Amino acid sequence: MHLTGCIYTGTHKALKAVFLLLLLFVMMPPASFAQQRFPRPEFETGYEQPTPVTPEPRSLALEYVDVAMLLAVMALVTWFLLKKRSRTGIFWISVFTLVYFGFYRNGCICSVGSVQNVALSLFNTGYSVSLTVLAFFLLPLIFSLFYGRVFCAGACALGAIQDLIIVKPITFPSWLQKTLGIFPFVYLGLAILFAVTGTDFIICRYDPFVGIFRMGAEFTMIVLGIGMLLIGMFVARPYCRFVCPYGALLRVTSFFARRHMTITPAECIQCRLCESSCPFDAIDFPGDSNARPDTEKNLRRFILYLVLIPVWVALGGFAVSSAHVFLSRAHPDVFLANLLITKPEMRNDLDNIDIQTFLSSGKPLETLVEEAEVIQNQFYTGGWILGGFIGFVIGITLLNQVVFRRKTDYEPHKGNCYSCGRCMKYCPVIKKQ
Amino acid sequence: MDRQTQLKLSANTAIVSGIFSILVSILLLISYWQTSSFNPLETEAIQALVERLAEDPGNDALRDEIRTLDLLARKAYFTSTWQVKTGGYLLLFGAIVCIVALRYYYSLLTKIEKPGEPVVNENVNRILSQKWILAAGMVIMVLALAAAVLSRNHFSTYTPVSSAIVAEAVTGTDQVEVVEIRTDSAQEGMQGDEQEGLEGEVSQGAAAITMRFPTREEVLQHHNAFRGPFSNGITSRRNIPVDWDAATNRNIKWKVPVPKEGNNSPVLWGNKLFFAGAEGRSQTVYCYDHNTGRLLWQQDVNNIPGSTAAVPRVTDDTGLSAPTLTTDGQRVYSIFATGDVICFDMDGNRIWARNLGVPENHYGHASSLICWQDKLYVQYDTGEGGRLIALNVLTGETLWQTFREVEISWASPILAQIGGAYQVILVADPLVAGYDANTGKEMWSVPCMSGEVGPSAAYSDGLVYAVNEYAVLVAIDPTREEVVWEDNEFLSDISSPVVSNGLLFILTSYGIMVCYDAKTGEEYWEYQARQGFMSSPIVAENKLYVTDWDGNTYIFEVSREMNLIGECSLGEPVYTTPAFADGAIYFKGWENLYCIGQ
Amino acid sequence: MDKDKAQSRRNFIDKGMRITLGLSLAGVGSVALSRVSAKKWVWQIDPFLCTQCGRCADYCVLKPSAVKCVHAYDLCGYCDLCGGYLRPEHTERDTGAENQLCPTAAIERRYIEEPYYEYVINRDLCIGCAKCVAGCTAFGNGSLHLQIQHDLCMNCNECSIARVCPSNAISRVESDAAYIIKGGFTREESGG
Repeated sequence: MHLTGCIYTGTHKALKAVFLLLLLFVMMPPASFAQQRFPRPEFETGYEQPTPVTPEPRSLALEYVDVAMLLAVMALVTWFLLKKRSRTGIFWISVFTLVYFGFYRNGCICSVGSVQNVALSLFNTGYSVSLTVLAFFLLPLIFSLFYGRVFCAGACALGAIQDLIIVKPITFPSWLQKTLGIFPFVYLGLAILFAVTGTDFIICRYDPFVGIFRMGAEFTMIVLGIGMLLIGMFVARPYCRFVCPYGALLRVTSFFARRHMTITPAECIQCRLCESSCPFDAIDFPGDSNARPDTEKNLRRFILYLVLIPVWVALGGFAVSSAHVFLSRAHPDVFLANLLITKPEMRNDLDNIDIQTFLSSGKPLETLVEEAEVIQNQFYTGGWILGGFIGFVIGITLLNQVVFRRKTDYEPHKGNCYSCGRCMKYCPVIKKQ
Repeated sequence: MDRQTQLKLSANTAIVSGIFSILVSILLLISYWQTSSFNPLETEAIQALVERLAEDPGNDALRDEIRTLDLLARKAYFTSTWQVKTGGYLLLFGAIVCIVALRYYYSLLTKIEKPGEPVVNENVNRILSQKWILAAGMVIMVLALAAAVLSRNHFSTYTPVSSAIVAEAVTGTDQVEVVEIRTDSAQEGMQGDEQEGLEGEVSQGAAAITMRFPTREEVLQHHNAFRGPFSNGITSRRNIPVDWDAATNRNIKWKVPVPKEGNNSPVLWGNKLFFAGAEGRSQTVYCYDHNTGRLLWQQDVNNIPGSTAAVPRVTDDTGLSAPTLTTDGQRVYSIFATGDVICFDMDGNRIWARNLGVPENHYGHASSLICWQDKLYVQYDTGEGGRLIALNVLTGETLWQTFREVEISWASPILAQIGGAYQVILVADPLVAGYDANTGKEMWSVPCMSGEVGPSAAYSDGLVYAVNEYAVLVAIDPTREEVVWEDNEFLSDISSPVVSNGLLFILTSYGIMVCYDAKTGEEYWEYQARQGFMSSPIVAENKLYVTDWDGNTYIFEVSREMNLIGECSLGEPVYTTPAFADGAIYFKGWENLYCIGQ
Repeated sequence: MDKDKAQSRRNFIDKGMRITLGLSLAGVGSVALSRVSAKKWVWQIDPFLCTQCGRCADYCVLKPSAVKCVHAYDLCGYCDLCGGYLRPEHTERDTGAENQLCPTAAIERRYIEEPYYEYVINRDLCIGCAKCVAGCTAFGNGSLHLQIQHDLCMNCNECSIARVCPSNAISRVESDAAYIIKGGFTREESGG
């Protein structure tokens, strides 16, 4: 090739500078130019090459500051709740959280999303969760085991923004609350299934408020966020109550909290003043003794629902696992493989970047299908677990409806209460010294 | 301030800030709608104008128009970004004021009320809850089951196209026999209706695509690849002309101008002759009637996914369309220096196209294509590493690729039957190697080559011949992976060797043609032509046709003694290898395409 | 009496559940802790996998995107005829809008000496559309390439570009190797 490389070069319209360079190549021994089409120039003017700009990421130390902030905020909330019994204190902490974790940290170090990272690290040995994220996952749960949902009260940016915009909350009938209360568990299960299969982090993707914190997001998410806030003026904390998957976890741990906040600092005097104080309908009233149900009938129901739990689990497992094909299509690889099989004419769709990149990658479709099948099988196994979990939640929720806890005082529902402290203001009782 | 004033003030503040927020939201929505329906940076208008300017570089008015439009587009983009950002902050501000005012207003209104009547009966509530929870649970289950019923699992029924192909091979005499391709994975006993079903499923685009692959006998009747069938430099065609002259138009059956530059050689199947050309980004495949020289169709090669907008840098002697096309009688395949591979049916309908990634090659990609049965072989020895790629002829999918540790090569693959199985033989620095045509497995390799390899291999009677200028001429026994003999006196630069009747012919770039004993390497004779050779020799009817780059063709008898039968001239440069049909030779010169014959 | 009994039973159940939940949290925590890394994680584009599809400009949660073009000066040929700077249909090799490939004119072309020109990216204008990257990769040494700029990047839990990247070129890496700046022409040489 050497000889002819030089022969016709003069004849063409092509560009001189390129040619000079190309001729340079042709002259060089073959071994040296396998690397770079155009060699590094040798400058005569003493020009020095600059270095590329690579701004450093936010330092790790600042992440630990975030963890410290979380701890401090939760400790303060606890102190305000249990010692000072001050709603005002909690209010201002919420404002701080909204500014710091929300608008300053852009809502993106958050306990709600950390569920996915932790789940993924449990199932995927190749994935390592960072210490900060693990701390954000564990700390609020540990706090809730002792003091209830103090995280929701003042340390969660999502909770804070909703809490601060409550204007005139309406009361939800309890049956609606209880029914909608199943959804966060379903969402939690789905989020974990999607995270573990490497499909998507749906909690983060469909976080309605993060777009507001960042002042920019996909159009639909912004609309969803603003819509959620508009609703939130009248339906208090809609995301927390009916969506938040981390709240579902907290609801369980907080239910067994060791020292949950109370409405009264001392003995309840049954004044009923706090009845309408809770925007979240999370105050349990003392049972009406006249309204006690027929005990025998109730016992029969209890046993029935108890027996039904395994049935729910099996039914859920069966139903969701059989929907694994549908669910697995959320995974981009499965989706692509499916598309290529069912719509082979899409290969000619030049605007479909995914298909075209796949085709030009040279990877055979068989390999993609094999990979997709592995993921689909994971969804099948995961479907049984997820379905079983959903069934279990439904079964337990049903069972709960026939369990009576004798109450004499007005108490916050330890699971549903966000420890915001509004009710404390209404209570006329003063703690005896 | 008394309570009434405060109430009024907060209510008014809330209303004003609320209206303000709504107005800002509407403005933001309008801005969003504008940018989503029209992205100023993606406008086609500027691109169209730039293309017009490229054709008419002196048009200053056009130039100014582009600059104005470009400035406007960028202004529009940055203004809209600014609008969204500022609008966002304004909305946030408005919303905060509104919320604070509203909260204040309602906090003034609410007082701790006297408790009303005791709440609703708890029992009724609980029973309602049970009903609704049951209903919700059932809804979840039904939704899941509905999703299960509505989504079909396509993976369980998926069988890879390539392994399911059971091809029908049509012999020259219309005898039909069923040949299984890739017997390792093909299912046995798939015949009749099932085949037709598969055919229907796989063929897309044009209707006439079938999955028959020509047999060896059928391929040998055509000139379907660079240097003839199986790229071995030998044709079985008869009545080849031995006398012509372009100056006097003697024995020139027809002549048409070559529409676009391209150093690829013509290939033939039946009455169709194919070649390609490329100028800049414009790449075209042509089909001519072999009898009349009439253009049957031409198709632009564009809109290929992954293909670069830019033209790769190549030298002019190699060009953008150096690789020769290949055809299997149903489809024709072409590759360009851009890495674009395209497949048309015989009527010019595009079947598939893809980009293999721009080959890193400082002269331009030159390795020609070759196909056999369901596979199209691409020698892709680029600066980024060497690969032999087998593409599915029906879909263009990669069936397999074998990585090779070699430098860039400009040689082309040849196909040879060694030990009963077909092998693809490739030459590059440093390997001469053979690969199983079915699986891509390297069967043998001999590291003996060096430099920038242009000539392809030749195969005859158990020996593989490879040559390169400034390197070596070797005869290799592939079964023992060793060099049988070697020589370095006469070496060719671009022109490939050919072996016939136990004689090996080498054409050098300085015009010397040499005849060796193929078994021993003993030199029988040499001949000094008037010019150097780029075109490769072809043996037809025991005659050797060689053409120098001035377009002089020398016809020798294939024998141990030199016997120049004839010398003919086209009067224009010829860098390509001619194609042979019964009674005709097709030359693609720098300017014209010639059909030599009666 | 009866009430006290119920109360103490309830306390017992609560305590038991608390311990169970605490233990399971500890379990999850310790398993996760065994996979924990004390490093910070950031998102990174591997320029050797990038196919310059242009989605980085559109899918980032930030507008304009946190993905910007970075110039590996070491690798640059300082070509006069720059495939990353000039449109394929350019008429002159100058800074006229009709010749520039970059839609926001974010690349500055500076004369150094015959025949060399330096190209500098104005990060404030760059939108990460990868047009210049495609041009440089196809046509030159590939010294222009996309990188996530970590002073801008929100470090989302799941990068919304990574989710749609057709060639899976974006992955999560430890922050002490936050960038792959192309050094040599191949991955091995760039040491990354």
